[in-house]
Amino acid sequence: MKPARTSTGLRAWLEDRYQLEPLFQFLSHKEVPIGAHSMVWYFLGGATLFFFAIQIATGILLLMYYQAGEATSYESIRYITTKVPFGWLIRSIHCWSAHLMIVSLVIHMFSVLVLKAYRPPRELTWVSGYLLFAISLGFGFSGYLLPWNELAYFATVVGTDSVKSVPLVGEWILEVLRGGPDVSIATLYRFFALHVVILPLAAIALIGSHLLFVQRQGMALPVGSTKAPPGMPFFPSFAVRDLLLWLGCLLVLLSLAVFVPYGPGLPGVDWELGVKADPLMPAYPGIKPEWYFLWVYQLLKEFPPHLLGLEGPQLCLLLVSVLMVFWAAIPWLDKSARNNRPSPMFTDLAFAAAYFLLFLTLKAWDIGAPEGAHDEAAALITARWSAWAVLAVAAVFSAFRAIRHGHHYYILSLAAVLHAFGHGILGFSYLVAGASTAAIALGLALAGGFFSSTASAERNG
Amino acid sequence: MIGDYTRRSFLDGLLGVATLGWIGSVLYPVLSYLKPPPPPVRSGPVRLSPSATERIEREAFTIVSAAGKRILVFRDGDRNLRALDARCTHEGCTVQYVPKESVVWCACHNARFDEQGRVISGPPPRPLGRYIVKKDGAGNVFVHQESA
Repeated sequence: MKPARTSTGLRAWLEDRYQLEPLFQFLSHKEVPIGAHSMVWYFLGGATLFFFAIQIATGILLLMYYQAGEATSYESIRYITTKVPFGWLIRSIHCWSAHLMIVSLVIHMFSVLVLKAYRPPRELTWVSGYLLFAISLGFGFSGYLLPWNELAYFATVVGTDSVKSVPLVGEWILEVLRGGPDVSIATLYRFFALHVVILPLAAIALIGSHLLFVQRQGMALPVGSTKAPPGMPFFPSFAVRDLLLWLGCLLVLLSLAVFVPYGPGLPGVDWELGVKADPLMPAYPGIKPEWYFLWVYQLLKEFPPHLLGLEGPQLCLLLVSVLMVFWAAIPWLDKSARNNRPSPMFTDLAFAAAYFLLFLTLKAWDIGAPEGAHDEAAALITARWSAWAVLAVAAVFSAFRAIRHGHHYYILSLAAVLHAFGHGILGFSYLVAGASTAAIALGLALAGGFFSSTASAERNG
Repeated sequence: MIGDYTRRSFLDGLLGVATLGWIGSVLYPVLSYLKPPPPPVRSGPVRLSPSATERIEREAFTIVSAAGKRILVFRDGDRNLRALDARCTHEGCTVQYVPKESVVWCACHNARFDEQGRVISGPPPRPLGRYIVKKDGAGNVFVHQESA
């Protein structure tokens, strides 16, 4: 019989004091399931965490020079980018990693949705991830104002103004967010506190919970599995791959930060300092929020002044709130996945949501419209271009899904495409096209018996 | 013990009420603290600075701050001075006067208002607030803070 292996050195020293052996045992036995689908999806959470760590590190470096204040915010950012050695690089890395973090977070969330990794007992992993996504958007929104430039000012005016539509407490929330009735330097102080203290504390607590859930429950098994497939040891096999991916992320991040230091120049992906904020200057043409808020920005445009007894912005906020609550509650709404059965409707929902967001984002980007044109004709051209782009993307993804994965359920994604077609190509208003296609999709879904999870539907993952 | 009502359940209830009272006594001052006091309001008309008046002559409009509000002062197509709330009623962006088209325009969501502040196109749900604007014999422009 072989003698039990004894620890030496630092490990023994720690073991004597903290009895960490069970933790080492847990880590040495931890495995990641392989074989059911691409392992790529298991690395996205780690990539997001990597970009968050870069955010914290570069944020601390920026804090060495940044001074919040009416006469100092804009000036200190200009000083960082023009005078401080490598200041431009630190700011560029901070901005690029913020965008890349949102990209990897979005892909991570959609992959969890498609793989149904939210099903019991992992509901709280989904909810904590959802909250982390909300916090990341909060980071983006609050950080946007800190340079105190013209773009930041108006983005904050629009972003905060929409909360006044919340019944009963809207005006109170608006004043608390802004530190007064209007966006002013008091707003910047509050956003600064939010960006560097409140949100990081909340994010760290939530990341801790999220990782604890993942470690405790392990990676989700493929739908339909009851026993764990062959696994890859987390240490060292998966961890080394994770580190390799982080190295790749760092390489991409540094390349972008060095060669495109102020963003690619697309609306919403651009961090040129521009002109200092002046609350007494009018909003300038072509003003846009960050790319991940463009869909809300465009949706606000699509609502008429009044509808169903409410003001347009109120109804828009209500719709967005309903969609957000629905998204958070998916682990409880997806009855098939709860019973460890395939749920093609929720797989298709992920694609429908992507087409819905893509259409609005492309419209907000004014694609296809003549430079500087803001009239009705330009809006029609943009809608048409955006619709064709969505149709093309949907055709490619649907073909891939059908050929590669044998998917059969396309009702929701078809509704999203029909919506874009009805509005952009047939010329119906956005809401009329949306309501019509929603009604058709609901009818088809009910006729197909999808809310009762028919056996035929379950063939499709 | 009276029926199902015991001394323990009474004390549990009392503890619950006390806990709620304690939470309220902590939250109330914190929530009150978060909302800043209203800015001081200066009554009476606001006189435009010479540079603001000059800007109206040069660019046909200016934006001034009065009682915590942004007010658009412009010279309309008939050369009359007008004053409107500069905050778009849609999402609060600052509007501007476009003299070539004689419209007030918000660049954020492409909303248009006429010179009276009424919505012509776009998503704003309400017209812009109107203010009284007057010019004295010495050429000073005054904006009255009361809505017209």
